[in-house]
Amino acid sequence: MSLTINTTINGKSVSASAEPSTSLLDFLRDTLEFKGTKLCCNTGECGACSIIYNGKPINSCVTLAADANGAEITTIEGVADGDKLHPVQQAFIDTGAVQCGYCTPGYIISVKALLDRTTKPTAEDIEEAVSGNICRCTGYTKIVDAIQLAADRMAGRV
Amino acid sequence: MAKAEYTVLGTSPARMGGVERVIGAGIYGIDFALKDELHGGILRSQYAHARIISIDTSEAKKIPGVHAVVTAADAPDVRYGRTSIDRYMLAKNKVRYMGDPVAAVAADSPAIVKQALKKIKVVYEPLPVVIDQEEAMKLDAPTLHEDMPLPKNLPADVKVKNVCSFTAVHVGDPDKAMAEADIVVDEVYETKMIHPQYLEPRIAAARVEPDGRITVWANAQAPFAVRTDVARLIGVALNKVRIISTELGGGFGGKASGITSGAAIEPICALLAVKAKRPVMIVLDKAEETISTTIRSGAKMYINTGVKKDGTIVARQGKVVYDAGAYSGFGAMAGARCTNMLGGWYLMPNCHIDGYVVYTNKQVCGPVRGPGGPQAAFAVESHMDSIAAKLGMDPIEFRLKNTPKPGDKIVGVPKLRDVSLGETIKTAAEKIGWGKVKLEKNQGIGIATGSWIESAGPGGGAVVKVNEDGSVTVHIGKIDMGTAPRFGIPLIAAEELGVPVSDVTVVNVDTDASPWDAGTVGSRAIIVSGTATRLAAIDARNQIFKMAASQLEASPDDLEIKDKQIRVRGTPSKSVPLATIATAAHNIIGEVIGRGYCDNVAMMAEEKARGSSQPFTAHACIVEVSPDTGNVKILKYVAVHDIGFPIHLASVEGQIEGATAMSIGQALCEQVVFDNNGRTMNPSFVDYLMPTINMMPRIETTLVHGYPGAGPYGAKGAGEIACVPPMAAIANAICNATGVRITKLPLSPENVLRGLKEAGKA
Repeated sequence: MSLTINTTINGKSVSASAEPSTSLLDFLRDTLEFKGTKLCCNTGECGACSIIYNGKPINSCVTLAADANGAEITTIEGVADGDKLHPVQQAFIDTGAVQCGYCTPGYIISVKALLDRTTKPTAEDIEEAVSGNICRCTGYTKIVDAIQLAADRMAGRV
Repeated sequence: MAKAEYTVLGTSPARMGGVERVIGAGIYGIDFALKDELHGGILRSQYAHARIISIDTSEAKKIPGVHAVVTAADAPDVRYGRTSIDRYMLAKNKVRYMGDPVAAVAADSPAIVKQALKKIKVVYEPLPVVIDQEEAMKLDAPTLHEDMPLPKNLPADVKVKNVCSFTAVHVGDPDKAMAEADIVVDEVYETKMIHPQYLEPRIAAARVEPDGRITVWANAQAPFAVRTDVARLIGVALNKVRIISTELGGGFGGKASGITSGAAIEPICALLAVKAKRPVMIVLDKAEETISTTIRSGAKMYINTGVKKDGTIVARQGKVVYDAGAYSGFGAMAGARCTNMLGGWYLMPNCHIDGYVVYTNKQVCGPVRGPGGPQAAFAVESHMDSIAAKLGMDPIEFRLKNTPKPGDKIVGVPKLRDVSLGETIKTAAEKIGWGKVKLEKNQGIGIATGSWIESAGPGGGAVVKVNEDGSVTVHIGKIDMGTAPRFGIPLIAAEELGVPVSDVTVVNVDTDASPWDAGTVGSRAIIVSGTATRLAAIDARNQIFKMAASQLEASPDDLEIKDKQIRVRGTPSKSVPLATIATAAHNIIGEVIGRGYCDNVAMMAEEKARGSSQPFTAHACIVEVSPDTGNVKILKYVAVHDIGFPIHLASVEGQIEGATAMSIGQALCEQVVFDNNGRTMNPSFVDYLMPTINMMPRIETTLVHGYPGAGPYGAKGAGEIACVPPMAAIANAICNATGVRITKLPLSPENVLRGLKEAGKA
């Protein structure tokens, strides 16, 4: 039995069918070809598959595609404004926070969700916002720098 | 040369490939797909040790949608291995760990693959299992490899079994020196297996081309080694195989090659594609990777050191028992490195260490980030603090007293040129506030040092092409995984050819087009590809100057190149654009193609003659230990490193921060846990704990300068060394806080609390 899923992804209405057991991650990657949302642990532990779902960051690997009917979704592909990178994306490049880059889309989603809420995040806010995103390359130091730089740029402090 | 003499070297411009990574482009292996591809999957052993009586694939083959089922019977009777040829691509006769590949399936969908794997009937005769490497050495232990002889260099009086390789390190007369020591400190340390846990799963995709050649796409760190494996293991000529590298989502040695990865998925995938006559792609599941691919081995280390009352080290004796896992893998090399490093990197006039690398029924040792080093350093640097405590000496003072000077030798290095160890220790002490910072209750301060081999290994080449618009294309044989190939290498080409960094493209590896290379391993990228790229760029520049000289009516020796303009030095008005010369080349030599290489033999001979300048490091930290829970929180962490000249500064810092974090993970939480049957108890990310941002301190990195290495512009490899000191630095800080020396990793709440209880402190 196939279900029809109607969602809004990156501002566009999308309709496609999915099996009831299909995860939202597989639906995005395999059915809709949004390859920017990354597959890793498939258990909701690493955050590589983060998307913004009705305004909140979630792990798409542990969400069913069927539940996304009617949802509004932002994936990494919807973060930049055309060719102009979002300040979070630019800050990750500028601070050297992108090594292998595999966790980066998930990070940018989590950080965008944070900075959409506040451009004056405390150290605790930052820690809480990305505590579900594992990075194996950077040791997190330059990622914290990137988040701070993005916040400062978005608030016009630098 | 000083940094000021360079235009871009030593700075931190945006990495090549940054934009596609932040916009989520589908560049990785996992994002790859072939038209009409089948899905591949691997049947893995459910026994850690068993004889294979029979394999029946007939039911699996009957399932609609199954296109190929392969076992060892479908492949040539060829084994592989780097130091011992002891392993089949698909298990034959025996399985030796839970996860050993036994058969593989290609089918229309992942669901059909799963169904078919279940229908393959394997009859096993279970055999006794041995998990602990010391147990495996005992004469009554089960035999893992009936046809593998004991190492030839094993002393005749040593009665052991399952030993895969043996290394003995001997300096001076340790027995005599030990007898004359004032104080002898004897300890045993132990580390556990950890998995590199790169985030992107391993993939392989294979297609038989119309001309019969086989193309394999892989996210492997060593594409040329994969080519060798695929050709040998499926029985085709080397020139019939082409490997194309995708982008890699992390590797850390875990994706280091078809052979050493132990997953062998590339040749299995190629075999499926040949049998199915359709393209096939295999993607490993993360839990499948944890149980089946290569890991950082556990080591048991006996360390016994004699010192004089004034703190002079006079002798060390020791033994390393290093876990190879089920096959030799990278065990011999990692175990030998661990054995050498147990001798330390301080003055050590007398020393004897025996290193045994032992087969067990566990997954296989790989070349994971600094193979052998972090284990040895946990023992060596914890032990240094234990000795200092016995002497009643400050740990910093004790280390400085035994620090070598230029011209001295250390274990494994006959002559040192520059020695940054002392400066790194003093700098780390200053940055952490040693002797000055006020520690609260339950807080402690610790330091540990480390070193890593000055580069040694195969050479490698580079080809630098100058396009008609003056842009530059670089071909090297090393893949990028957030390391030098897309950070430092473009800077080198830009510097030598006077072009903006953004005008340089470093091409990913295609074995049909790229120069041969051993892979992105061993902190070698900047040394090998950096040296080769520099020389290739200079070769290209010489060709450009030769052509420009006639146009500018000047000698090639008087020319310089900057901002894509070739100028006569001292006469700025006489210039010609690089693009003009590169275009004119079309009618003369076709294209400016520079060639360069890193001649490793010559480099090592030079280093031997002038003395080695190997990298040193000191890390220091302040921790707080909860006496109620045993939880350890790192409050401050400093990492001081000599890596020679930092070609891309942010990249060097990033490598240090990342490697430090990986070992902080091993120190505090990471381990692969086994039950007595050899089953991995924590295969998924739910149970395999890794550092998240919550437990990570800010890594405060400081570089010390003035110790140029053998790499280009005096660079040293930076990818691995920061993995070496963290475990001991943290253990020493815990000991400083609690008075309890914990000798087994991880320093998890459970183990710390047990240690405190045993000492009557909790």
